[in-house]
Amino acid sequence: MLEQRAFEAEFLRKLDGLVLSATRARTRRAGRRVIGRAQGAGIEPENYREYAAGDDLRFLDWNALARLDDLTIRTFRADRHVEVSVLLDASASMGIPERDDKFGLARLLGAGLAYVAMSKNDPVRLAAFGRRASAAGLETTRFYRRQESYVELRPFVTGLAAGGETRMAAAVGTLLNERRAPGMVFVISDFLVAAADYETALADLSAAHHEVKVVHVMGTKEMAGDYPPGAYRIRDCESGATREVTLGPAAAAACRARATAHANRVRAFCASRGITYAEAFGAEAADEIILREFPRLGGLI
Amino acid sequence: MGLLEPLNLLLGLSLAALVAIYLRARARPTITVSSLELFAEAAAPVARSRTLRVDALFWLEAAALTALTLAAAGFYLREPKPASRVVREALVFDLGAAMNARESDTSRLDAARQAALALIDSAPAGREFSVIGYALDAQLIRAAAGRGAELRSAILALTPVAVAPRPAALSAALIDANGAAKIDLFTDHQPAPELLRDARAHAAVAIHLIGGPVENLALVSLDPGTPKSSQGHALIRNFSARAQPCELVIDAAGREVFHSTLILDPRAAAMVGFGPLAQGGMVRARIMTADGLSADNERYALAPSVAPARALVVSPDNATRDDLARILLAVNPAYRVTVVDTTPAALSSLAGQKFDLAVIHDFSGAAIDAAARFVIFPPPANGESGRVVGSSIAQAELRGRAGAPPLATPVTLGPTRALALPAWMEPLALGGVAGDPSSFVLAGIGRTPGGSNAVIGFDVRNHLLLDPDRLDALLLTIDTLRLLAAPTDARVVATGDFVPVATFAPATLLTPSGARSQLIPDRSGRVRFRAVEAGRYALQSGKKTTTIYANYYDAGESDLAMAPGADTPAAHMAHMIEAAGMHRESQVVQQTTPLAALVILLLLLESVLLARRSARWGVSHV
Repeated sequence: MLEQRAFEAEFLRKLDGLVLSATRARTRRAGRRVIGRAQGAGIEPENYREYAAGDDLRFLDWNALARLDDLTIRTFRADRHVEVSVLLDASASMGIPERDDKFGLARLLGAGLAYVAMSKNDPVRLAAFGRRASAAGLETTRFYRRQESYVELRPFVTGLAAGGETRMAAAVGTLLNERRAPGMVFVISDFLVAAADYETALADLSAAHHEVKVVHVMGTKEMAGDYPPGAYRIRDCESGATREVTLGPAAAAACRARATAHANRVRAFCASRGITYAEAFGAEAADEIILREFPRLGGLI
Repeated sequence: MGLLEPLNLLLGLSLAALVAIYLRARARPTITVSSLELFAEAAAPVARSRTLRVDALFWLEAAALTALTLAAAGFYLREPKPASRVVREALVFDLGAAMNARESDTSRLDAARQAALALIDSAPAGREFSVIGYALDAQLIRAAAGRGAELRSAILALTPVAVAPRPAALSAALIDANGAAKIDLFTDHQPAPELLRDARAHAAVAIHLIGGPVENLALVSLDPGTPKSSQGHALIRNFSARAQPCELVIDAAGREVFHSTLILDPRAAAMVGFGPLAQGGMVRARIMTADGLSADNERYALAPSVAPARALVVSPDNATRDDLARILLAVNPAYRVTVVDTTPAALSSLAGQKFDLAVIHDFSGAAIDAAARFVIFPPPANGESGRVVGSSIAQAELRGRAGAPPLATPVTLGPTRALALPAWMEPLALGGVAGDPSSFVLAGIGRTPGGSNAVIGFDVRNHLLLDPDRLDALLLTIDTLRLLAAPTDARVVATGDFVPVATFAPATLLTPSGARSQLIPDRSGRVRFRAVEAGRYALQSGKKTTTIYANYYDAGESDLAMAPGADTPAAHMAHMIEAAGMHRESQVVQQTTPLAALVILLLLLESVLLARRSARWGVSHV
């Protein structure tokens, strides 16, 4: 399976040297990657300045007040790290068609993005959503900061199984309920769900000042709709709904058109919200996707 | 059934295969897709598929083949069996202590008797009933026979005993009922389902839950304390869901030492202190308040005597002598303890002295003159024949003590000598070697005309008796000492225990209910009986009378407030079981081939007609 490659040395060598650039999240909170000048929540002292009305009295230097009878505020360097969360869609549709290995590709890309983010010691975690993930709809790892910890993601990445319904908005809701500082969120999914669900999810993430990046995963056979001509009963892997159809060249062409239209719709929504969109169509082109789409997602050399 | 025969089974399976092939041929391949939206524009097939297509011709043919198969295998219907057949029923009665609980004027056993007699009266002709009772063990009171006066008198003669019924006894009673078509179990406790599983395999089991909630007070324990030294305590428990008054009277040696009325909280226990007693002897506590069960309202205990007594401790080990002397004084502070080692000089100082109790460690001590002897870790070359096996064990373990449940974790002991007790001794503890399931006797006690004797096989050096991790070794030692120091004419036992008494002559036993029986001693001079009534037993042999006091308490039996009533789901289930059982026994099977043949002929005729019509319409599914 493709996700096993995520922990091969050859794959990781390709990712070495890539740096994940963050724009929105860092500037809104604590400046750019350079050291911030705003009153930060860090612990490293930066400077002293005169007290002004409205300053937090917790930062008042009481020693200076006692000795000099002067109100002085201590300032600290802001925490410059950006939390990176990689949300993997682990619903049943990610495992269908099995030959496309969409879920393997999604896990490979998710792990690769985590590896790149770790190169600058940014805290990174993986999260998966799907009905079976957990009662809350979201299963997450803890945050890892150093690339030496990358291998600790392996049990999570290889242990995931696709199943259940896509409930992206619910999973994002669970994520936002953690009330963490805005950071960077990668959403890796096939988005084969009602448009309202993924649009709500992505809009909520943006509204919470997260820098959102979308990786749209689709399978080659899935998009081609190429089945031997004949009458079939098709069953939706998530809802279990069935339909009876006649498949053949005309149906395959219609399927391709629907898949393209679906991708365009996701892309257009992302563009309208300022969300970075990258497509990952076909597991067989994984290397090409990494080279082509990672820079688009912020992976800079 | 005919379908269990290989040929008939093959016919049935081939028919199922035919239907499966047809359904498979009619089925349409199903593919699972990631989303139906991708195929929204795919056209629907011209003809819709259905898993069960209504194809009258095929299903008629299948019905004809089914009927043929059933006819070949044998087509059975059930009809009522002839009424002349004899059916045996077993009436199984719980004779545990709680069945003696009284509700208004009648006991639970009375209610069970009435229910059983009503059942007998309403039973159809041809029924035979057996009567079985169980408590400590199962007893076939009356074998299956008619429903005459003998059956009624057997039921009316049932008597509950003051012990908790054992699950093994119920299992044995159900085994005794083997052969009965129906078992009626009269009890006040819902038995565990696994106990009834085997019985239900061969008979219908109807459980008649007797009794309702009854308020009850019980004397849980009685500790006389040490006369002139420490207080005694009585523990009383209220099993009622309401606060209850409890009038408690405690007598010691015929004098009342405590008399008070307490108010006990609902389902609570209270510890009552009394004394210290002025002298040793028998202590009796009684709950005078009327309640549901009387057996647990009286309790006896034996307070140690305060008369000065001489005790001797002999051991080659200085620390062991010190340990044993401390334990002796803890058991009875009235002992004046003499401690000597095993050197000839020390032993010579004992010449001419007589002791009430001698505790002899790792020494034969045959020359010591004592009324009671307690030998610990006897040397292999013991002159007293039969007491000690020569084999010594480097490390043994204590697995259980008499009168106590088996130890969850065996107590590791040091050097030990496996004992082979003579016939006049009773085992007090069992042990073994770690990893070896076989056991041997670790301790025993007995009485000869010369006095009382006890023996413990393990060594108590290195302060083994004071080791908190090996508390059971200390408890065994203390219990043995108490038994040795107890008077020979009075004993306190628990109901259900076998009581051996060394009388050395035939004896007459007078039970608490007033019944008399003759007991013949065995070769060792002991008579044995089982105390199944709570209260005072008198054993008279010649001019000597030994009094045995039997105490009864069992939390499960005394808790009468929780007894299921007739309206509980369990009782309802019992009636359902009974109904099912009656239904089962009233039916037999009978072959009805003519009916099957008629159905087949009709079906074949109709299928032939349809085949002719389908040929005209061009139907080609079959």
